[in-house]
This record gives sequence, structure tokens and C-alpha cells, in this order.
Amino acid sequence: MAKRRPTPVRGNKKRKKSITEKPIYFDYQFLFLVLFLVALGLVMVYSTSSYTADLKTGSPYFYLVRQGVFAVVGIVVMLLTARIDYHFWKKFSLAMIVVAIVLLGMVIVVGKAVNGSSRWIALGPITFQPSEVAKIAIILFTAHMATIKAARIGDIKILVKVALFPMVATALIAVENLSTAIICAAVVFMIIFITSPKIKQFLLLGLGVVALMGIFLIVASYRLQRIKVWLAPEKYEDGYQTMQALYAIGSGGIFGKGLGQSIQKLGFIPESHNDMIFSVVCEELGLFGAVCVIGLFALLIWRCVIIAMSAPDLYGALIVVGVITHLSVQVLVNIAVVTNSIPPTGVPLPFISYGGTALLGLLLEMGLVLSVAGRIKIPKEY
Amino acid sequence: MTKTFTRKKIFFCAVILLVTFIMLIIRLSYLMIVKSDYYYEKAEDLHQRERSIKAKRGIIYDRNGVELAGNKPVCSISVIHSQISDADKVVTALSEVLKLPEENVRNKVAANTIREKIKSNVDKETADVIRKMDLDGVMIDEDYKRYYPYNTLASKVLGFTGADNQGIVGLEVFYENILSGKPGSILTLTDANGIELENEAEGRIEPVPGDDLYTTIDINIQKYAEQAAKKVYISKQAKRVSVILMNPQNGEIYAMVNVPEYNLNEPYKLIGANTTGMTDKEKQDALNQMWRNFCINDTYEPGSTFKVITATAALEEGVVSENDIFNCPGFRVVEDRKIRCARTSGHGTETFRQGIMNSCNPVFIDVGARVGVERMYKNYDKLGLFEKTGIDLPGEANSIMHKKENVGAVELATMSFGQSFQITPMQLLRAASAVINGGKLVTPHFAMFSEEHDSHERTILDFKERSGVIKKDTSEKMKDMLESVVSEGGGMKGQVPGYKIGGKTATSEKLPRGNRKYISSFMGFAPANNPQILGIIMIDEPVGTYYGGTIAAPVMAEIYENILPYLGIEADYSEKKIKETMGRIYIEEGD
Repeated sequence: MAKRRPTPVRGNKKRKKSITEKPIYFDYQFLFLVLFLVALGLVMVYSTSSYTADLKTGSPYFYLVRQGVFAVVGIVVMLLTARIDYHFWKKFSLAMIVVAIVLLGMVIVVGKAVNGSSRWIALGPITFQPSEVAKIAIILFTAHMATIKAARIGDIKILVKVALFPMVATALIAVENLSTAIICAAVVFMIIFITSPKIKQFLLLGLGVVALMGIFLIVASYRLQRIKVWLAPEKYEDGYQTMQALYAIGSGGIFGKGLGQSIQKLGFIPESHNDMIFSVVCEELGLFGAVCVIGLFALLIWRCVIIAMSAPDLYGALIVVGVITHLSVQVLVNIAVVTNSIPPTGVPLPFISYGGTALLGLLLEMGLVLSVAGRIKIPKEY
Repeated sequence: MTKTFTRKKIFFCAVILLVTFIMLIIRLSYLMIVKSDYYYEKAEDLHQRERSIKAKRGIIYDRNGVELAGNKPVCSISVIHSQISDADKVVTALSEVLKLPEENVRNKVAANTIREKIKSNVDKETADVIRKMDLDGVMIDEDYKRYYPYNTLASKVLGFTGADNQGIVGLEVFYENILSGKPGSILTLTDANGIELENEAEGRIEPVPGDDLYTTIDINIQKYAEQAAKKVYISKQAKRVSVILMNPQNGEIYAMVNVPEYNLNEPYKLIGANTTGMTDKEKQDALNQMWRNFCINDTYEPGSTFKVITATAALEEGVVSENDIFNCPGFRVVEDRKIRCARTSGHGTETFRQGIMNSCNPVFIDVGARVGVERMYKNYDKLGLFEKTGIDLPGEANSIMHKKENVGAVELATMSFGQSFQITPMQLLRAASAVINGGKLVTPHFAMFSEEHDSHERTILDFKERSGVIKKDTSEKMKDMLESVVSEGGGMKGQVPGYKIGGKTATSEKLPRGNRKYISSFMGFAPANNPQILGIIMIDEPVGTYYGGTIAAPVMAEIYENILPYLGIEADYSEKKIKETMGRIYIEEGD
């Protein structure tokens, strides 16, 4: 896939350009970072899940195999997406967001409950999270609408037109999963913020959101409980998971106990291969390893930023901004939760945490970024 | 190409992102460097299970390094439910080898607990049989059990230990701190369900073995004294025979016998008693009685042996000299009481020295009266009769004396020949030591030094001594007079050919009087001019002849005959001595 040699052009003869036209440029640095993170994710999923998987399912590879299948499929999907001109998605973005909204509606009605909240939907043998589909749909749709209405984005009516469907989807996600909804809202917000030449309004909006959150926290008492747990996790039963994560992080020290040597993963941290996986990274690889992992994310995001800034058009830039927002908010929230820097909420760590749909969705997004990157026109003299 | 403000905004956001990342890294550094130890310890607490390892108890040796109390390796067999693969096989094998009811074992094997103990104190051979079977889920833990190689030897001195190897009576409990050591522990890592993790480095805090204790007991002397005591215990059908042998110069005890001794390896088995029909309390009382060390735990009326103390007090106070003349009509009237002498016909006119030799009560009544209550009590006090001896055994009793202000002429008179008060045999022996060693009040003791297990570093155990409690001159006179008690007086049967023995006999009627129950005793030392050994024998409730001079003195003579050469005290068969001895034998045979 990543060959520089021209490949036979397949595609619709009616079009001037094929949608699978060979990209001008392929961002190998970006690809490397993604593949490295996926590989690291597989290692950590195996490390964290093998002991409990062996006890529960009889096979230590249970979670690794499932995640591995998704990783392989996801990489194929990513590379395919990279070949497809991102403008191809313009036509389907409305359909996608509608489908996403329908799926999100379905999940509320017929969703399959896993771990207490119904976020999954079963399609034959495959269960997947519609919210992952929705994230991509929201990025593509909002980017598309914002590009079209870029000139008049300051108009409230236009703004509503751009943001209506994404916000509906976000609201539906919020019913079951507040943290994912916050990520989606952040994506929409960032795309519009980047599109608009204004700054003041957004700062006001930002303040408004903060104020609303404050009111929400005061009104919803169980969230307040969460605040109490956050401030003193050792005093509450609900703080168990947080305390276990802190034990893991703290006992890692500077160089960690060594890969595979975590004790906290042996049932002390519930489902340590999920949201709390970063604490095991800290325990096994130490501060050194943890900073390396954060560094990988930072590099990846920085690469995205470069791509966004040099994107051939606004649409491409906005897609990448959406992906950056999704990726970075998720990384920040996850690490902040694991280190008890913010009140606990369940957000997986991109690429590393166990979760097939999430990995597939992320790799697809990476494919989009690669697609944008591939169409950057590099000046000859550069 | 996108507009400039778009790119500026993207860059701006990226910078904010970068700052947030750096803040998270700072937070992580705080948790993983500053708070690392705190969380690490908390996590370790959570992961570790502690199993304690018993410390090896220190060994008790005699003065020659012979082991009197040691440790025998034993094993405890337990099963781990989750690791058993063939339950039936385990049940059959364990019940067969350990001789346990099969049902019992089956219940324990079936119990869904982490660890179930099947049997403890299994000897090593049996455990090896089980180990060879290589049964899954069967754990064999090695352990130590206190073991006494000589079973009954010095049982009431050594004492025994309980289930956790803790001392219960005797030296075992008195020197618990020295002997016990510090238990160690095995720290194993477990998962959240408490299952021990294999291949995880075990934290192990090694137990510190207890220090060994070297005692002043001499196993040969102890054995010989026990043998002699047992012989007279049987022949006189006595209730109890006690012997103490000590070095009067420093208080080291060579032997302490209380026949009947019990088996230290089976301390809960009552000897010579039928336990059926006994309530638990009765049984416990009987056991406590069996474990008692008469020499220190009980008091008695010493009788005539105490005349040594009265004589010493009189010489100390200068109220009498060897050749002062007394008259014994066979009794003495004190106030309204007529106190009889052992010889009812009376000893007639006699010197003080002869009074001691004859153990004449009226002489001592007179001497006691001359000393007076005040000075008598002062001398008792100097000789340590109002205090415990400080011997290194638990539960020592103290003397029961009249209050000084309550002592009238009658009390003083009876006390002068050893009646109407109670002391322990050990107190008497300690006071007598001071009398014959030149006035040094020693602390009788068993411990010599403790030895650290690994470094063999020795710690000498010191005991208090008080010098000059009586005058040297008094001591010399007393030794001389007490020698004549044995060579010519009432203690003649305490003679040992070739040795100068000093001593005093006693026959005290037990309270209440008139039951014709006696304690016959003899206190003797050798060599008389420079005592290296001082001993006392007490025969409690002998049947038949009960005079101390007749039944107790020969036992001590028999003991000395053997142990004096053993102690390296050479016999002196000078012509005169042999003649005297031969003469005595001839006369006795001719009697």
C-alpha cells in the first residue's frame, strides 16, 4: 500500500479524477507513529489482560487476539482510507450523520448492556459502539458544513445549520456516555472555532460552557459525589478504582517494574486493559515509559497539526482539526482521570486501551489524516 | 491553501495542547517520584500475605555442654484445596499414613478454604513418606518441636513449652526472652483474590533463632542425685524426695531433684494418678501440683537444720562460745510451756559444741534467749531469710515469719530450733552458704551464660552477691562445729570415707502436729574446711524410721561418695581418718 511506485488507476471513468488516485505524498512519519502506538497498545493489552483472561476464559490471549484482529482490519482500513481522496466523503456526510443518529437512537432502545451501560449494538455476531461511528460522522459532517458556510459562519442561523445534526448526535450520546459526548462537543466546537475568524465569541462561549458545567455539577448530586471521591479517593468506596490506579502509578517509580511485572493488573485494578491501562503502563514502564507514551501522542498530534496547517484546503484542515480534537481530548482526559487530576470518568486511551470499535474508528480517522496529508502540494523549491 | 487566521488558530490550540501535556507530565512526575514510596508501600501492603516462620528456640545445655532441652524437627501437613487434582487419592493416602479417620480427612480435603491443616507435629520420617508420594495440593511445612532428650531429668527445673514453643514453667519460661528468638515471616505476593503468585520473588524476613542457655546443672550430678533420691523415695515410700546440690561459694546449682519427676516430653500426662472421673479443674490442679518445684515453690518448717542459723547468730553476737556449759534435763520450761528435747532423758551437762552435735533443743532455747529477738531478726535479715533468694526460676515462695513485735519467749525458743515459721529449702541453703563460705550471701542460680546462635558470642549472666554478712571467724567456727556433727554427732551417717563432711540433720513434724508425718532432712557440705559443695536432702513423709540422721544423711553420703571425686575434690585417706572411719563401721556392725 505504501509504495511510491505508481499503481494502476482504478475508478469511475465518468470522473475527471479517480477517488483512489495515488496521493502525491505519503506521510511515513505519521504512519510510523500510528503503527508504533497500535503495537504498543497490543503489548499492553496482552500484558494487562493475560492473567485475568486466563482465569476467566482459560486463554491468556483472549483479549489480545480480539484486539489484534481489529488492529489488522483497522490498519487495512486506514491505508485504504488514505488512498481515497477525502473529498469523496463530502457527498456521504449527511447520510452518515443521519445513520449515526438512527443508530444512537437504537442503542438507547435496544442497546446491549455491557458493564452497566448500554453503549453497544449487535449486528449479527459483531457488537459495536454507535458512538464510534458517530464521532467520525460528526467530524466529516461538521467539517463539510463548516467549509460550505465558512463565509457566514458568524450568523446564528448558519451556525445552527452547521451544528444541528452533530449536536443531536452528541445529545444522544450524552444519554449514556457523558465523556464521549463532551469529546464530540469539543470536536464540533473546535471545527467551528477554527473556521470562524472571530475569537471573542468563542471565549464567551467557553466561559458559558464552564458556567453551565458548574450549574450541572451542583444540580446533579451524584456528580458531586464524584467530586468528593475525586478529592479524597481513599475515603470512599467509589474511589477504589482511582486508588488502585494511583498505587500502580506510584509503585512504578522512575523506571517501572518492567514489562509484564505489574501486580496491580492481577485483579486489583478492575478491567485493567480498559480505561485504566495507562496506570499499568506507569507501573511497568515507570515515569520514563509513561513520558515516552505521552511523547508519542504529542508527536502524533504535532504531526496532525502540521498537516492541518498545510492542508490543501479548509475542508481537509477541518477534518484534521476534528481528528486532533478527538485524539487529544481523549488522551488528556484519560491520563488526567488515571492520575486523579480530574474527577473520574470513563474514557479509553486511544490505541492503547482494549476496544475493537474504538481502535477501528481511530485508525479510520488516521486514514483520513493520511489522505489529507497525501494531497498537500509541496512547492517545488521545498 | 487555508487562510492565515485558520493556521494561526490551529497553532494556538496546538500550543495550549502542548502546555496541557506538560502539566500532565508534571503531575505524573509528582506521583511517580515524590509520592512513589508512599504508593509503593500501600500497594505492597495490599499484595503481600504474611506467613510467620517460627524462630528456632535456644537450646538449654548443662555446664558441660550436654543438651538438656533441644529442638526436634517435625512437620505439619496441610492441604490446599485449589491445588488438589485427585481428592480420593489424597484422602486415602493421608488417612492411611497419618492414621487418621478417613472421614475426618475427607472433610478437610473437601473444605473450600485456602489452606487446611491436617495434622501438626508429624515426625520427619512420616512426613518423608508423604513427600515421596508427591500428591498435588499437599503441603508439608517443617517446624520445630521442643524435645527433652532425658525425659524426666530435672523436669521441675527445666520446665516445658507450649504449642507455640513458648515457655510455660521452669527455666523455659524464666529465660523466655533469651530462648525464644524473633519469629520471621515469609511475604508472598498475591493477586486480588488472595491467590499466591508463583515465580514472584518472596520477601523473607529470616527468623532470629533464640540464644542457647548454658546452665550450672551438671548432668552427671543431677542423674546421680536423682537416682539416689528415687531409691530412697521407693524404699521409704515417701511422698516426695527433694535434693539440692550447689556450690556455696558462688550459688551455682549443680542439681535440683524433686522425685517424682515427670516426663517433660509428655507434661500433660499425670503420673501415678487415675485421670478418669476427674473434672477438668481437678485434673489441672493435679497437673499444677505435679509441676511444682518443692525446693522453691513451697515453704516448710526446717527443724533442726535451722539450728545452724541460731548458732551463727549467737556466735555473731558473741553471746556464746564453743565451750560454754549448758544443762539439758530433757526439757526446758519457757514461760508456761514445757518444751521437750529429742532425747527425753536429757543430755545432761554439755558444751555448746556438744549441744550442736546432739542437736539439743534446750541448748538452743538458751542460746536463742541470749541472742534475743532484736538481734536474732537482724541476723535472719543478714542471712536473707526475709527475702526471696532471687533464684532464676518462676514462682519462688518467700518465708513466713512471726512479726517481730509478736515474738515472745516461747516463739523465740521454738524458732531457735527451727519451728513455728516456714522458709523454702532454697532460702535455708542460701543462708547456710553464707555461714560456711565466710559470709558471702550468694544468689542461687542455674544460668551461667547465654550464647548467640550464629556468632557464638557469650553473655555472662550475673547474679548479685553480698559480702561480709557474717564474720569470717564465725564462719570458721561454724564449719568446724558442723564437721563434728558428722564426724561424732547426730549426722554420723553422713560420713564419706576420705572426706571431711560438715552437716546438720533435721526431723520436722509436719503441721498439724500429731499426725506423725515428718520431713526428714540432712544438710551437708564438703570438704568441711573449704566447702565446694553444699547439699540438702528432704524426704517428705517417709514410712517407718523417720529420723533425718538415720534415713536422710546416708543418702547424701552416698551422693557425695560419688560426686566428690567427680568434682575433683581429692580424698584424704590419712591414717587417722581411715582409723576413725573403720572404727565407726566396726562399732556399727557390733551394735
